[in-house]
Amino acid sequence: MLQTIAFYLFATLVVASAVMVIMSRNPVHSVLWLILSFFNAAGLMVLVGAEFIAMLLVIVYVGAVAVLFLFVVMMLDIDFASMRAGFVRNAPLGIAIALVLLAELVLGIGAYRAGALILGTPDGTAAPLLFESNIESIGALLYSRYLFLFESAGIILLVAMIGAIVLTHRERPAAHRRAHQDIGKQVRRNPKEATFNASPEIGKGIDL
Amino acid sequence: MDFGNYLALIAPELLISISGLVLLLVAAWVGDSAARPISILAALVLGVACFMVGPALFDGASGPDTNAFAGQFRADGFAAFAKMLIYLSGIACLMIAPAFFERLGAMRAEYPILILFSVLGTGIMVSSGNLITLYIGLELNSLAAYVLASFLRNDGRSAEAGLKYFILGALASGILLYGMSLVYGFTGTTDFTLIRAAMTLELSTGALFGLIFVLAGLAFKIAAVPFHMWTPDVYEGAPTPVTTFFASAPKVAAVALTVRVSLDAFGLQADAWRQIVIFAALASIVLGALGAIGQDNLKRLLAYSSINNVGFILIGLAAGTPQGASAVLVYLAIYVVMTIGSFVAILMLRDADGNYVENIRDIAGLSRAKPLIALILAGMMLSLAGLPPMFGFWGKFVVFQAAVQADLILLAALGIAASVIGAFYYLKVVKVMFFDEPAGVVQGRSETGHWVLLIGTAIIVSPLGYLLTIPLGLLADRAAVSLSLLP
Amino acid sequence: MSTSILIIVFLPLLAAIVGGLGNRSLGNVAVKAITTGTLFVSCALSWPIFLGFLSGDYSAMVVPVLDWVRSGDMDFDWALRVDTLTAVMLVVITTVSALVHLYSWGYMDEDPDQPRFFAYLSLFTFAMLMLVTADNLVQMFFGWEGVGLASYLLIGFWFRKPSANAAAMKAFIVNRVGDLGFMLGIFGTFLVFGTTSISAILQAAPAMSGASVGFLGSRVMVMDVLCILLFIGAMGKSAQLGLHTWLPDAMEGPTPVSALIHAATMVTAGVFMVCRLSPMFETAPVALAFVTFIGAATCLFAATVGTVQWDIKRVIAYSTCSQLGYMFFAAGVGAYGAAMFHLFTHAFFKALLFLGAGSVIHAMHHEQDMRYYGALRKKIPLTFWAMMAGTLAITGVGIYWLHAGFAGFHSKDAILEAAFGRGTELGQFAFWLGAFSALLTSFYSWRLMFLTFWGKPRWAQSEHIQHAVHHGHDGPDEANPAWQEDAGHAVTHDVPAPGDMEGTAGYHPHESPVSMLIPLAVLSLGAIFAGWLFSEAFLDSAEFWDGSIYYNEGLIHAMHGTPLWVKLTATIVMLVGLLIAWFAYIRDTSVPGKFVEQFRLLHAFLFNKWYFDELYDRIFVRPAFWFGRKFWKVGDEGGIDRFGPDGAAWLVSRGSVGARKFQSGYLYSYALIMLLGVVAAITWVLM
Repeated sequence: MLQTIAFYLFATLVVASAVMVIMSRNPVHSVLWLILSFFNAAGLMVLVGAEFIAMLLVIVYVGAVAVLFLFVVMMLDIDFASMRAGFVRNAPLGIAIALVLLAELVLGIGAYRAGALILGTPDGTAAPLLFESNIESIGALLYSRYLFLFESAGIILLVAMIGAIVLTHRERPAAHRRAHQDIGKQVRRNPKEATFNASPEIGKGIDL
Repeated sequence: MDFGNYLALIAPELLISISGLVLLLVAAWVGDSAARPISILAALVLGVACFMVGPALFDGASGPDTNAFAGQFRADGFAAFAKMLIYLSGIACLMIAPAFFERLGAMRAEYPILILFSVLGTGIMVSSGNLITLYIGLELNSLAAYVLASFLRNDGRSAEAGLKYFILGALASGILLYGMSLVYGFTGTTDFTLIRAAMTLELSTGALFGLIFVLAGLAFKIAAVPFHMWTPDVYEGAPTPVTTFFASAPKVAAVALTVRVSLDAFGLQADAWRQIVIFAALASIVLGALGAIGQDNLKRLLAYSSINNVGFILIGLAAGTPQGASAVLVYLAIYVVMTIGSFVAILMLRDADGNYVENIRDIAGLSRAKPLIALILAGMMLSLAGLPPMFGFWGKFVVFQAAVQADLILLAALGIAASVIGAFYYLKVVKVMFFDEPAGVVQGRSETGHWVLLIGTAIIVSPLGYLLTIPLGLLADRAAVSLSLLP
Repeated sequence: MSTSILIIVFLPLLAAIVGGLGNRSLGNVAVKAITTGTLFVSCALSWPIFLGFLSGDYSAMVVPVLDWVRSGDMDFDWALRVDTLTAVMLVVITTVSALVHLYSWGYMDEDPDQPRFFAYLSLFTFAMLMLVTADNLVQMFFGWEGVGLASYLLIGFWFRKPSANAAAMKAFIVNRVGDLGFMLGIFGTFLVFGTTSISAILQAAPAMSGASVGFLGSRVMVMDVLCILLFIGAMGKSAQLGLHTWLPDAMEGPTPVSALIHAATMVTAGVFMVCRLSPMFETAPVALAFVTFIGAATCLFAATVGTVQWDIKRVIAYSTCSQLGYMFFAAGVGAYGAAMFHLFTHAFFKALLFLGAGSVIHAMHHEQDMRYYGALRKKIPLTFWAMMAGTLAITGVGIYWLHAGFAGFHSKDAILEAAFGRGTELGQFAFWLGAFSALLTSFYSWRLMFLTFWGKPRWAQSEHIQHAVHHGHDGPDEANPAWQEDAGHAVTHDVPAPGDMEGTAGYHPHESPVSMLIPLAVLSLGAIFAGWLFSEAFLDSAEFWDGSIYYNEGLIHAMHGTPLWVKLTATIVMLVGLLIAWFAYIRDTSVPGKFVEQFRLLHAFLFNKWYFDELYDRIFVRPAFWFGRKFWKVGDEGGIDRFGPDGAAWLVSRGSVGARKFQSGYLYSYALIMLLGVVAAITWVLM
């Protein structure tokens, strides 16, 4: 009973906050709604007994979203002064979301204590459980049955990395390289080589 | 689980990924000066991969023995046919690239590596027997493709092409994933065979949604109307060797994948998707032809041409029979040759300053400055238009034949009628090259590698290509049968 | 014989190809020599064949040439069939053609396109020979259409002249009407008999007699239907009443063409065909009655019209039409021998008349209107005597008791006797019409002679003559040849008053060159002796025909048994016609004018050729044009073009603009279209 109530609450909030993500005009608000939505998704995962995935959601997504938040703030060229002024305006929403999260946390823990929701398969039987622990189960599948896909996904990440480097990394042109600081060269420097005397004739310059 | 067997089945993928990693290290160590050797090595790797898929192709391998990792990966004859095309077009794109980028001072060692990984992704796509494999392959290919599209990062159009491709591709991926999650939700499985088994009866609305979304996501990849919008912009903006790649390997993979998903996973629900495929086919033919007519840019024109050709391919798919699948493969093979030949011909045209000529006005009277190139390009155009002496006619013929034999006579008739519109702009290119006053823009010599490719493709596209009809038809038939379409 | 028949038939084709392709690069003389030479060779080879059949040395044979069609039940070859009937046609065709070729040397001397002309002539000869040697109906149809084509080309030979083009088209189109009947006849014959082989059909025909078929709810006799359809083809080719309108207009062609095609050979193809298929026609009494009626009616119609024409060639053209009517009603009453005999003699004297007329025209500088002739007897005596021989032949001058006379005497009398001897009412009808037509024949023939060769010169009013006088006559008038501006004269109904007929305008008619006179001489011999020499064989000898036509023994006896007055009828009416003509055109030249005054309506009716052209114009031509314009403007331009090619092009160009606008370049619109696509697809499958 408690699980069911929790499920519907989380599910409703996931959808509602996802809608708010795209509805709100203020990008900062969107990010806040997004965090709420991720949290609720994580709550759903907890309810079905996938604690590991729930933690991943919180750590990776919510964590990453914080970074994304920074990027957004920096890239959207938002005036920090007005941001600070807007803090007061944003605060009520932030506080409200925080409160909702707190309430959910309590409810979620309660529901988790009451046991996981049973997931079904089309033929009506319960999904098989390889190991007691989430992590063990996932690991066993990833490195046997889904090995090929797991490695392929790795290559996707590698390609993404290569792509990022290709598109952004710039070799300094040779002309600029000469102006580079070469510490070894600086250390090897001695007065004899660094200075010389010259007595140019009047009206003539000196060739360095 | 017999890992040894699995590794043998994924041997081409293993080879390509390991070579890609090794070459990446070489590239990181030696730098861009090694770009040319790496390209050659990458081409060699793909050549070896061709030999590795050869047996499966010629035997028309099928059945449980070709399934690796519990059916997630299928190394059957169908996949082998597509992979052979993909690898060969990959080799072509590796051959033409160094000269192009070096002239622009933009050759980087990452290009062959990205091509390799993209080819790897397309290979996984055509071998997928599972929605997850499908998605992994698609993303692997796409990510590399996004980067390749904006490979000339200092060129605004190239960057724009990459960005547009990326964003729309992400949207398409979203649509695809949503569909996959629905299919999974309503069938409880991501395996094609099991989905097929689960989708025997009347579909629930949710499953139907899933099916449509999955096909829509794939339609983006093959650039069928109305998911074609990215094609002209990306083809035009991307560097020409990359465009050549886009028009060949990923296109083959996406089409083959769509055929596999439609006929295998959704094969028993053909009534649900056939009419949509028919609409997409006709819309692609018409819109591709209409769009091409007004174009000044040759690459953009060829982009519309590819949309147009996808329409014909979809006619074969709409037939929904092994024969239709075979016709699709034959068409793909011919189309790939024609499109590579056309792009190589365009790649060989430079003005006095060494800039690449892409505008149709600049090739006016090309027959006088570069008679052989003009002749071959004209041949390619006539072949793309499907005029009988050229080999391109055969592709259209088998597709229409399949449609007629599947009782889609009206579709075949409409397709033939619409192909007349397409003939207009192909013939316009021929007319401009042969009958207009010479613009005198094109000058300079072309690289031997380009000539080899151009003449090779020209021979296949020429009426001599008809010598290939029987072996090509045999291989395609075997490949289509290996899809195991029977319930 | 098999070799010579191959040479006879294919040598003209070879000459046509060489002459036609070589054209000006070979030069006038070379082409003329080649074509004329080959025709004389063919002619020389044809006569032995004919004489062989005449003496009974030869019998019918078929010479295979090539396989043609093997398709299911349809199975026929190119093969040349030679029997008595063919042999008769062979000598007629090759002789007249050879002479016409020779004649054209002189007649066409000033024409710039002589090689083309001679090539056409040879091509025509080949097609005609194919027609008469056909072993099956399809091959006959090939020849049939071949002569039609050659006729079209030759009528329109002076293609710069609009009237010649119009005449050529008219000939072709009217013939198509007949050809449709002929084709349907061939189809039907194949349907009924399962073969197109003529001999097989003729063998099977008697068995089919009496068979009937349901058609449009009524029972009709199969053989009657087939024969009438075939005869409609013959009507077109042989210019019988209803489909005759093209023949007078065909006189726009050069005169040698008129002599060869529109007198001696092509127009007789219909008669030949009916005779060739005579065993088949004999099983179809209704069709025979139809043939008789049409033949007799044509005979009378053409003769009446011929009496009032001014153009010398048109008079002869109507005469031809009328004589063809004789042949048909002879065939219709079952006297195929008489029909073929008249065909044979007619070929000689009618070709002679045409070539003689051509000689007159040549002498009068392309003037064809008899009102501007007169008193030419002394100026061109040789032509005059040739024409006289032809006139005596066509009017049938001869003495019954001596059994000797000119060519027409033998053949025409035989036809009238056969019609009477047949004993049926239709036979009687044909006899009386034929007899009256013979009177008219005599009248218009003598009228032609008197107007041309007697009286006083009336040349001064002729534009042609004036032109010749002013521009000099003798030198070749290349820059402005008379035929180019020969638009004809405004035809007036009045005979010029005697007072105006004085002047010769200083013009001196000249006798034709020897190349034109030789054919006249040869044909004169034919016109004089052909009847007397061959009447025995053609009319009374079953052995001669040897089964190549249906030979009605009883009818021959009936012919011989007709009363004396019947036998004398032709001679009597001939004399009456001569007297009327003499009275009207020699004795008192005001008579024709008074007659016209008196019977204005009748004259107008005859002069306007019974208003056939006007009638056809109203019934067929104008509605056809109206429909054509409707189909063109409304159907084609307004419908097919508008919604077809033009509409498609418009749609494509609009679509192309639309497709380019569609490609806005904005990401969000691309994304929107993708999503709309998904939504549309889902809506579709859910509905």
